[in-house]
Amino acid sequence: MPPAIRTDDLVKEYGDVRALDGLSLSVPQGSFFGLLGPNGAGKTTFINTLVGLVRKTSGTAEVFGHDVEADYRDARDAIGLAPQEFNVDRFFPIREVLMHKAGYHGVGEDEAADRAAEALETVGLGGKAETRFDWLSGGMKRRFMLARAMVTDPDLLILDEPTAGVDVELRHDLWDVIRDLNDDGTTILLTTHYIEEAERLCDQVAIIDSGRKVTVATPDDLTERGTDLVTLTLDAAPTGTPAISADGIDSVAVDGSTVTLRANSGSEAVPIAVRQLEAAGHRVHDVDVSRTSLEDVFVDITRTGGDATDGSGGSVDPDTGDDGDAESPEVTL
Amino acid sequence: MSVVSRGLQSLTRREILRFVRRPYNTFLPPFITNILYFSVFGVILGDRISDIGGVPYIQFILPGLVVLGAVSNAFENASFSIFHGRWNEYIHEALTSPLAYWEMVVAYVVSSALRGILIGILIAGIGAAFTPVRTLANPFYAVAFLGVITTLFAAFGVIGGLVAEDFDHLTVLNQFILRPLVFFGGVFYSLDALSGVARTASYLNPMVYMVNGVRYGVIGVSDIQPDTSLVVLSGLTVAVLVVDVWLFKRGYGLTD
Ligand SMILES: Nc1ncnc2c1ncn2[C@@H]1O[C@H](COP(=O)(O)OP(=O)(O)OP(=O)(O)O)[C@@H](O)[C@H]1O
Ligand SMILES: [Mg+2]
Repeated sequence: MPPAIRTDDLVKEYGDVRALDGLSLSVPQGSFFGLLGPNGAGKTTFINTLVGLVRKTSGTAEVFGHDVEADYRDARDAIGLAPQEFNVDRFFPIREVLMHKAGYHGVGEDEAADRAAEALETVGLGGKAETRFDWLSGGMKRRFMLARAMVTDPDLLILDEPTAGVDVELRHDLWDVIRDLNDDGTTILLTTHYIEEAERLCDQVAIIDSGRKVTVATPDDLTERGTDLVTLTLDAAPTGTPAISADGIDSVAVDGSTVTLRANSGSEAVPIAVRQLEAAGHRVHDVDVSRTSLEDVFVDITRTGGDATDGSGGSVDPDTGDDGDAESPEVTL
Repeated sequence: MSVVSRGLQSLTRREILRFVRRPYNTFLPPFITNILYFSVFGVILGDRISDIGGVPYIQFILPGLVVLGAVSNAFENASFSIFHGRWNEYIHEALTSPLAYWEMVVAYVVSSALRGILIGILIAGIGAAFTPVRTLANPFYAVAFLGVITTLFAAFGVIGGLVAEDFDHLTVLNQFILRPLVFFGGVFYSLDALSGVARTASYLNPMVYMVNGVRYGVIGVSDIQPDTSLVVLSGLTVAVLVVDVWLFKRGYGLTD
């Protein structure tokens, strides 16, 4: 069974910009796969290579084993895409836009009408069927993109920031819709800047930066890799930094009567730290552990250009993250 | 299964509905323009211009005006539809579907040629109201020429829609290339009116062959032997269609 997506050493150059820099990625069939990375990482470029909107410079890309150039018709037939930028036919009401799209994929007229109605209903746009796309609100437009991606009943659903600008309640509804599709066997490729979304939905995420793969892991594995922050409040300010050492404790800092530790696992570090502090004559008065979120890990990884990389991350140039935009702390999340 | 896939049918249908659903944009402008042409050139000036090849001037220009309307509409429809789809990126709906490249081209060309033919028929109808042309002299040629030239210009329109970078380019293509070709293409005069270089140069203008072909079909008068024209024009059409498919395959103007 070929993977839903397999790319090998994929390169895309726009003049001097290397938007994809030898990206090799494999998305297993049936998975819910997250593609994360800061702005300009190459996520949209990657997706567009699969559907034929971007011509790759070199490398190979296959969708369910179909080469995206040689077998472009089979590859495209398998994909339903909800793109980041709106690109909807403005001449027709949205119901007909869906029928046309289904028709291009070979779906007969009656069946296309049924599917269009169903897709609109699913995303909560049943009442807007005869409206033109331009007259929908921003969030409705987003939802329509999902309806259009679903209407061809794809084996691979690609969602490029599907919930940007959608209100909280509807976002949860959309998650349910997407999860149901995944449960029924549809492979999902999701890009998002809402890390929480990836954490909740995806069973695997790839983090890419500057067109390269930084790491591929489950969200849990990634969070594990981050360091927790342990804050201990003492009765009195110690003179100097107290000595606390154990495997898994990275650093100790003191500020007045507050001692902070960075540790691989906060819950393991707390008893050790308390014991060592009390042995040194301090009294611990309050303890707080803040676990790293996937968000922290993400910021960390994309800022340092892959310090948190494991072996599967492939060749990562340690310099990539050290300069330019990747250093900006305000990675849009 | 038929040769015409469901996908091809859908895109063709979409393209046809796009102009049929907007009748005021599609049919009203050529309707008004041609009433003006027939009134001014046919009725007001026509009486002062002597018969050409034994035909009254108004009847002489009728086929020319049909060609003018048919080819410019075929060209404009294809170029506008493709360009507008690129501009607003909704052409991606078709591009990311499993349609073969040749099917995409056929859908744009067939729908645009159809629009050209409909406008041609509309203009012929207006002409018939001004002057008594009631039957076609050579129906086969009338139909064949109209079919070939609208297809040819729709195919040119595809190229125009792919290479244009903004709306002004479309206007430029129309005003500076299409219009001069048409006006020097013998719509309003017979080649007999020309001599020397002007006459020789006219034989390089493909429009001359089209106008004369349709004229032969409608009123049985032509400056040029129609069979050769038909063959040459058909060959040219096939060549331009091949270029269209090649451009789609390359993603020219369509992909990054
Ligand atoms: N058509 C284009 N022409 C030139 N450069 C481009 C083009 N499209 C993308 N790029 C460049 O390629 C790089 C990757 O862009 P891409 O859109 O793939 O990023 P992204 O990961 O989707 O970002 P975002 O999170 O902002 O959507 C960027 O440096 C971008 O400027
Ligand atoms: Mg993007």
